[in-house]
Amino acid sequence: MFVVRRLIAAVPVLVIVSVLVFWFVDLIPGDPAQMLAGTMATDAEVAAIREFLGLDRPLGTRYVMFLRGLVDPDLAKSFRTGRPVALEIAERMPTTVVIAVGGLLVGLIVGALSGVACALRQGTLTDTVITVLTLAGISMPIYWLGLLCIWLFAVHLGWLPAAGASTPAHFVLPILAVATRPAATFSRLVTANLLEVMGKDYLDTARSKGLSEMRVILVHALRNSLIAAVSVAGVQFGAMLGGSVINETVFGVPGIGRLLVQAVGSSDYPIIQYCILMFAVFFVVINLATDLLTMWLDPRTRQPVTR
Amino acid sequence: MPRKTLRHVLLALMCCASPLAVAAAPSGELRVAIGIDPDTLDPLTNALPIGNAISLLVYNGLYKLGATNNIEPDLATGYSYSADGMVLTVTMVTGRHFANGDPLNAEAVAASFNRLLDPTTGSIYAGLYASLGTAVAVAEDTVEFRLKEANGHALMLLANTAAVIVNVGAAKEMGAEYGRHPVGSGPYMVEDYVGGERISLVPSPSYDGPAPATLERITFIAAPEDGSRMALLETGDVDIAERVPPEAIPTIQALDDAEVRLLPSMFSISMELVLRGPLTDARVRQALNISVDREGITTGVLGGLATPSVGMVGPGTQDDLRRTFDPLPYDPERAKALLAEAGYGPGQLALTMTCPTGRYIKDVQACQALQGLWQAIGINVNANIVDRGTWSGVINTVPDERKDNMGMVGRATAGIDYTLYRLFYTGVGANRTGFSNARVDELLRLGRTTSDPARQKEIYGEVQEIVWTEQPFVFLWYQKQAIGVGDDVKGLEVRPDETMILGTVTVER
Repeated sequence: MFVVRRLIAAVPVLVIVSVLVFWFVDLIPGDPAQMLAGTMATDAEVAAIREFLGLDRPLGTRYVMFLRGLVDPDLAKSFRTGRPVALEIAERMPTTVVIAVGGLLVGLIVGALSGVACALRQGTLTDTVITVLTLAGISMPIYWLGLLCIWLFAVHLGWLPAAGASTPAHFVLPILAVATRPAATFSRLVTANLLEVMGKDYLDTARSKGLSEMRVILVHALRNSLIAAVSVAGVQFGAMLGGSVINETVFGVPGIGRLLVQAVGSSDYPIIQYCILMFAVFFVVINLATDLLTMWLDPRTRQPVTR
Repeated sequence: MPRKTLRHVLLALMCCASPLAVAAAPSGELRVAIGIDPDTLDPLTNALPIGNAISLLVYNGLYKLGATNNIEPDLATGYSYSADGMVLTVTMVTGRHFANGDPLNAEAVAASFNRLLDPTTGSIYAGLYASLGTAVAVAEDTVEFRLKEANGHALMLLANTAAVIVNVGAAKEMGAEYGRHPVGSGPYMVEDYVGGERISLVPSPSYDGPAPATLERITFIAAPEDGSRMALLETGDVDIAERVPPEAIPTIQALDDAEVRLLPSMFSISMELVLRGPLTDARVRQALNISVDREGITTGVLGGLATPSVGMVGPGTQDDLRRTFDPLPYDPERAKALLAEAGYGPGQLALTMTCPTGRYIKDVQACQALQGLWQAIGINVNANIVDRGTWSGVINTVPDERKDNMGMVGRATAGIDYTLYRLFYTGVGANRTGFSNARVDELLRLGRTTSDPARQKEIYGEVQEIVWTEQPFVFLWYQKQAIGVGDDVKGLEVRPDETMILGTVTVER
């Protein structure tokens, strides 16, 4: 019932997003027909291209066409390639998802491990080093981090390729770059949560049962920390999709982010509009998944609210 | 000599006489890092130099542009104009085939041209080629262009990569996918097209022309970020990297196995003036022109990746028709005097210029330098530095509706008629300065219908002289191309329109 209620609530959100996306993209400076025709084109040539693209029709008509394109993908075609937008997105999507999921997993694992280490080694050199690294990870812009990774691992050490996506090795640097911020965030979160629960009674109870300290921390203390981490993971995953615009450009990866950058550069409205709408759908789905996961991890959140 | 042996010797000699037999088998792979990958390889909508480079490998045309943008025959064996100049007849080689085995004859050529000329196909060149009228196959080896208007520059249009011969049957059958897997008659065919990442070409087994493939594979790798693209060259992952940024030139030059080649480009950068208000005064335009330290900016700001303008059209724009002039002096004192003569004392003239971001080499920094130079002679200049979309909107606005006074624009088109007509004929095309000169209009009309090269030289020479004297632009500089090339690459040529000619390239590792 909760899921159905959330899905119904998502419908007006997506309708509003679709209107805003369509309207704002239409406001982007630069006429797509003029961009295609070039700076030397005559007004008549630009008008002919505008008519071919359907840009001479009223905004309302084009919005209806845009909505119909959601149902019939053959109606939504890229201005630049003439191919269905759905096909363009479907070709690029796996690459973006692999990097985002890979980045999130690496971030979660590294963040959880370093967070535990930090909590258990409070005030030691380990704690200081991890704290400095996590602060750096949170502060560094992904653009700069990406270039740093290329310089170190591709140019200087020669271990990994600098750009492209044709082999598994090509994915290592983009995943590493995109995982840095979530790893740092999770690390800080896990440390703070662990320090908060370490003195709680239920952990003493677990210890009194004869459980090892490692088991007490990993099974009992860390589980509580994970509830907060799951909420953050949802936000981080969404941020990673947005960050793909920069990450994929730096590493020359053919994902959705790069597709969007190319589309903005050439005012390819259909690609921009459907990509942004798809990101909005992703955010709605991720938020729902996060809530469901939180409910599963924390039984208290399943109880109905009483007044 | 026994009869059998004699027959073998004769056979061997015959084989050696065949051009296909003497050609070496394709070997090696060439990897090219590109800044922008083409969205489509359909010549109807491609406008990128790298798309042109691929077109030269995958397609044939009747004519093509050579290393200096000179017109060379490709499939054509000859041409003639009718007495009234309204029919252009081109004869071509026969017996050639497309990569899918379809015959490449006059009928295929006519079909390809009529597709290019048809505005309902979405062709971005339909307007440019409209004067060619209709193409008709009148024999297996003869195509007639029944022109809409006399055009003495038709061969230049035919030599442009937009006019390569497309297999129209395959294009209809494949729809938009044709842009990814085009069917041409060139020595290479597309093996793999991964949008946003790479395009791989391999030798076409159906190729039966005189210039077969020299390489086993050519791979174009998209690396839009300058640092990543240079890293690919530094690590040896690619053999060629286009668009070396000025700050990376020393690093690439220092490599043991690669170098930066600085090549001329036809990109002529100017500040195009909107001719109204104070800019209708020739003294103000002259003051703007002579107060620009072109040497200083090209060296200090552009890192040597440009050379000061000595004419409106850039090198490689039909050099046999192009005229150059003495460089404009840098004389700020004279500029101040001219402004005073025109009635503008220090701080009394305010101008707004529109500059793009990332469209030309160091465009933002160059605009800031220009702003400083003009402020130094007492003009209050507001630099309106905007994104590419906004810039495109501003510079394509008709002069009466423009809110700014000038815009930075680079012009790079192979045809001199096309360039001069569209920029300076009254009220036409990209003439967004509002320039109008009766003599220029008369000469441009005459030049368009003249096919005699000597007469064309006189006509276009006079047009260029008037433009240089009238100064509707602040003429700035011609960009240079900076391409990183590995030592193992042999035979690379690059046209002034920034199209790489890779057909004869070999890689010696």
